[in-house]
Amino acid sequence: MNIRYFGLEMSRQLRNARSLIFTFAVPVAMLLIFGSTYGAQYDSAAHLQWIIVTTVQMGAYGAMMAALAQAFTIVNERSVGWNRQLRITPLSGTGYMITKVSSALAVGLLSIIVVFAVSILALHAHLPVQGWIMAGLGLWVGIIPFALIAILIGQFAKPSFAQPLFMVTFLGLAMLGGLWVPLDILPTWVGNVAQAAPSYWLNKLGQMGAGLTGNIGTPTIVLGAWSLVLAALITWRYRRDSARA
Amino acid sequence: MTRQPAIRLTGLTKKFGTLTAVNDVHLTIQPGEVVALLGPNGAGKSTTIDLLLGLARPTDGSAELFGEDPRHAIVTGRVGAMLQGGALLPTTTVRESIALIHALHKHPLSVEEAMERAGVADLAKQKIASLSGGQMQRARFAVAVVSNPDLLILDEPTAAMDVAARHSFWASMREFTDRGKTVVFATHYLDEADTFADRIVIMSQGRIIADGTPSEVKSVVTGRTVSFTLDSADAASLQRLVGVTHLEQRGNRIILQSEDSDATLRALLAGYPSATDIEIVPRNMDDAFMALTGPSTSSGTEKTGASK
Repeated sequence: MNIRYFGLEMSRQLRNARSLIFTFAVPVAMLLIFGSTYGAQYDSAAHLQWIIVTTVQMGAYGAMMAALAQAFTIVNERSVGWNRQLRITPLSGTGYMITKVSSALAVGLLSIIVVFAVSILALHAHLPVQGWIMAGLGLWVGIIPFALIAILIGQFAKPSFAQPLFMVTFLGLAMLGGLWVPLDILPTWVGNVAQAAPSYWLNKLGQMGAGLTGNIGTPTIVLGAWSLVLAALITWRYRRDSARA
Repeated sequence: MTRQPAIRLTGLTKKFGTLTAVNDVHLTIQPGEVVALLGPNGAGKSTTIDLLLGLARPTDGSAELFGEDPRHAIVTGRVGAMLQGGALLPTTTVRESIALIHALHKHPLSVEEAMERAGVADLAKQKIASLSGGQMQRARFAVAVVSNPDLLILDEPTAAMDVAARHSFWASMREFTDRGKTVVFATHYLDEADTFADRIVIMSQGRIIADGTPSEVKSVVTGRTVSFTLDSADAASLQRLVGVTHLEQRGNRIILQSEDSDATLRALLAGYPSATDIEIVPRNMDDAFMALTGPSTSSGTEKTGASK
């Protein structure tokens, strides 16, 4: 792994992050609406205050969106031929993947920090410092599989197809993760399917972090399994993706 | 350490379904050679370039750069390339693009030096999206040389360039080859191949059909073209004039290919004093190219010169 390339790539991504303001704005707006409405109530299922549950939800939502949006960057880069250019450099498939995941993590972290800051400053949400840190950390690490999904979409999709594919993936994952509406108001089978969705466990991981309780074994296994399978697909695809379009 | 050829292709074959894009290509290029790869569209030039860089896997045969796997030459920065369908990021500046690739290589030139060599130093802060066709190609050339390669592969480097841009591009290329480096370039411009390369490889339908110096390749079509206007011409008797190898009639315009244009001309004037608008031109690279790649000619499989 090459530190200098990594740095240049990261600064390039963060300059693009200005265009991600909209990505940050949606979860913040939803947080302000829902948080101030039900904030003080207590969620007995998560053993957390509603405001905290909503903050974690919106943090997960924003971070997931930031990570998945990498797909557009990659599709654009690929369509202009940048990936072909990269193929004639020493950058390996793994190196490429690590760089792209790191970019997603950087933007995702920014989104998490913004949502938490708004929650603390505007809605006066209260958690012990370790609670915030662990919740943020859980969400942050938890978006790795989403960054990998973005890379995979970026590798497969044609530019015209990326937008609908992103929307379907994003909306599906947001719903299954219970990031919009609580899963218990949806049919039971949706709840069952959700158990396999990375977004569901992303949300859970954030809640466990916030409550400083719970067994992180299951989320780690599910998110880890997703990451492994996706990484294998990406590496396989990268080796085949060099031919001219 | 023995001197390995810069490129060695052995029985290289690539099939896409039923289409054989590259068909049993054998080619060895020594360090220091400047080789033009010519051929009509679909001849297999770009696929050959993809294969020799390891960007596509051969169906059969192998490609080696400096005696090793192509990927090894790429990782060690010994090969740089300007590829078709490979481009720079529109939102970055020229300097940023070069710096990104620069950062990936182990022993690169400085970014400044690469820009200097490609003649893009004055464009450093310009966005890639704002470059003209010629400026873009020079920026890509800077990216190709930043690893300080021993071998450059250029796929139609002067496409989308105007005459002046082509001229300055070849000037910077000459500086590169003057350092004893190897260059392989694919082109549609026969005059570029003629004036710049010291070896020309012509491909057609996935095969190498000619391989030699420019003069060897041109010698496929010897002699000159004699053309004139003549009413009520008798093609059969014109064909029998001294030195004539081929006759073509377009209305009352007669075009003769001759091995001895002086003798043909004397016989023509003696036998056909009414012939007017007489022109004699040497046959050129285009004729050689057409003769070698033309679909109708059986001489299309002819091999010339130095083909191993």
